[in-house]
Amino acid sequence: MVNSNAIGIIFPNSYDGLIPELVRHRTMASVPFGSRYRMIDFSLSGMVNAGINNVTVIVKKNYHSLMDHLGNGREWDLARKKGGLNIVPPFAQSNSKVYHGRVEALNSILGYLSKQKEKYVVISDCNVVHDIDFADLLEKHKASGADVTMVYERAEIPEPIKTDNYTFTINAEGRITDIFMNDYRLGMQNLSMNVIVMDREELIEMVRDAMVRNYVYLERDILGRSLGILDVRGYEYKGYRSRIYSMKSYFDENMRLLDRENRDALFPDARPVYTKVRDEAPVRYAMDSKATNCLVADGCLIEGTIENCVLFRGVKVAKGAVVKNCVLMQGTTVEANAKLEYIVTDKDVTITANKTLLGNESFPVYVEKGTEV
Amino acid sequence: MKECIAMLLAGGQGSRLYALTKKLAKPAVPFGGKYRIIDFPLSNCVNSGIDTVGILTQYQPLLLNEYIGNGQPWDLDRLYGGVHVLPPYQKATGSDWYKGTANAIYQNINFIERYDPEYVVILSGDHIYKMDYSQMLQFHKDRNADCTIAVLNVSLEEASRFGIMTADADGTITKFEEKPKHPESTLASMGIYIFTWSKLREYLIRDEEDKTSSNDFGKNIIPNMLADKQKLVAWPFEGYWKDVGTIDSLWEANMDLLDPNVPLDVWDPSWKIFSRTSGHPGHHIGKLAHVDNSMVTEGCEVEGTVQNSVLFAGAVVAKGATVESSIIMPGAVVEEGAEVYYSIIAENVVVKKGAVVGAKPEDVEDKSKWGVAVVGEGVTIGEGAKVGPKAMLEKDVKAGENLW
Repeated sequence: MVNSNAIGIIFPNSYDGLIPELVRHRTMASVPFGSRYRMIDFSLSGMVNAGINNVTVIVKKNYHSLMDHLGNGREWDLARKKGGLNIVPPFAQSNSKVYHGRVEALNSILGYLSKQKEKYVVISDCNVVHDIDFADLLEKHKASGADVTMVYERAEIPEPIKTDNYTFTINAEGRITDIFMNDYRLGMQNLSMNVIVMDREELIEMVRDAMVRNYVYLERDILGRSLGILDVRGYEYKGYRSRIYSMKSYFDENMRLLDRENRDALFPDARPVYTKVRDEAPVRYAMDSKATNCLVADGCLIEGTIENCVLFRGVKVAKGAVVKNCVLMQGTTVEANAKLEYIVTDKDVTITANKTLLGNESFPVYVEKGTEV
Repeated sequence: MKECIAMLLAGGQGSRLYALTKKLAKPAVPFGGKYRIIDFPLSNCVNSGIDTVGILTQYQPLLLNEYIGNGQPWDLDRLYGGVHVLPPYQKATGSDWYKGTANAIYQNINFIERYDPEYVVILSGDHIYKMDYSQMLQFHKDRNADCTIAVLNVSLEEASRFGIMTADADGTITKFEEKPKHPESTLASMGIYIFTWSKLREYLIRDEEDKTSSNDFGKNIIPNMLADKQKLVAWPFEGYWKDVGTIDSLWEANMDLLDPNVPLDVWDPSWKIFSRTSGHPGHHIGKLAHVDNSMVTEGCEVEGTVQNSVLFAGAVVAKGATVESSIIMPGAVVEEGAEVYYSIIAENVVVKKGAVVGAKPEDVEDKSKWGVAVVGEGVTIGEGAKVGPKAMLEKDVKAGENLW
């Protein structure tokens, strides 16, 4: 692997507010996704696969589950003497208040940033699962000579994020000429993927200037106001992506992985997605169990019927139970003869025997972590 | 200093596994969906509180070395202790392959002495079982023994296949016979020993001096200690144990995982079997798939019918294909309409469209001609080809070829 000459910065708490139920005990980054992953695994693995071996995660709140998930970064090959994984909690800094806005967050690590040797910085949120080829992104950024490159996709703005998004106006040369905040237009837009590449030293300067002027947001207050001076370019991502902005989108995006072509697109052999290893045994399908169109992680025990489901690690479905169109997170137990349709269970939920729980395709019902129904 | 360390004998070729051990040592043979055989003794060590393990390798060690790595998946990456792969090496006085099990330990006396242990556990890398060595060690200490041998009560018919112990009421061994024609007892040695190190060291050195010795624990060390009236005790083990040294026993042990009575429980969270994992996403069971009484691992894509079978990480069973009572190892592909019965399909094998491998016992008239079919690593079975039961394939089979 060629040295990427870049460091990564990940913001795990961005857009937490869109899925309040799922982040009650965690961050957006540690929301379970796709049978055995957490949201952060995708950007983190993507960076590692591109040779970015020095990654900082700036956490804000509710980060116990994330710390537990990341550990020392070994599973992502980030347990290093040089670089590696660097988790920055808010109170690690002298100005001990929780940051608000990315400028303050970055300001809290300026000392660290200025000590690094890499020339570039790749900044990413965790609310979109994707397979961005960071190596290609860095290559294009270098080749274009731009100051900043921002990743976007051509997409309609989903209703729930019409009050929380960035879109770009891009001219024929690929330069971003305008950044809109909370765009509510109909139709296809250049919707931000919340992944930005720029020069490390330039970023430090920007943050210093912004602090002096009391700016809060990187996109709106710094980049948006500097488009005349800086060369800011767009990089269109055309690959597979899952944007999480509501319980419904969470459910739908998990379900989309039941299609082989979507799995092949998100998990290409060339760029594996790493996650925490839990040493679960393979899944056991008992006699007379029935499984159709399901994505199942290790450690599950299936004695009943499962249809169109995404099961995370260690889910148990007892005899006579029928589970259809559900997303069951790690450690969910469905006891005998229970019936579930369109349900999302959080971790360690138990549905006791003979219960029936029904949601609807347009409104999947969520069961909170640890609940016994 | 460590109270107790383990030495794991993993040098055997496993010649009776034929095509399966052509390119890898027996302890590295895949087992049970996501494991390799060596994961069982290694996990037992860690779960029993033994954090220092020497792995003695000799035959085809490349894959085994890579698999063990720094021992991290088994929590055996330690500052002091941990896992060490010990191949034979050159010394000032010359070099030697490991001549026998006892000689392998003899050649690594220096390794053992670095930890100055009181006790040494000797294990083999070709058995599937879950055992708490700390209980066995307690027994060894309670009896003030020089050597404790784990024994399993077998049937009288089976007894002549094993090393058989005769022991008195409190477990003291009075007689040991290797594969006796007329067994006096049914206590079979499991090939798991705990020695008081000072004692074993003395016997290893003496055994090495004896030029006629075959330098083997069962044939030399144990009989010599018995003859000298050293205290040897039998520690009775109850539970699942299988020597997977043959095609049939390897197949059976995998099938035992599917037994509804779960004689071998790999799902128990209090005694996890650790392994180096593949990193695949969850497996997918397709819309037309039919899966019954089977084990399926991450990364599998199942569109066909799978019955009484074990699918390893990344195995693919395509639409209209049938896999019955078989073991499909990592990355193997069974294409559309192909059929696999009572077979062991090794890593990265491709069974092309419409090919048939193996047969159900009821479909073979002459029962002496029936047996588990084996397809070795990386072999391609051509479209529509037929491979009969009991086959042992190491080379590709052409499309349409009939090998039955």
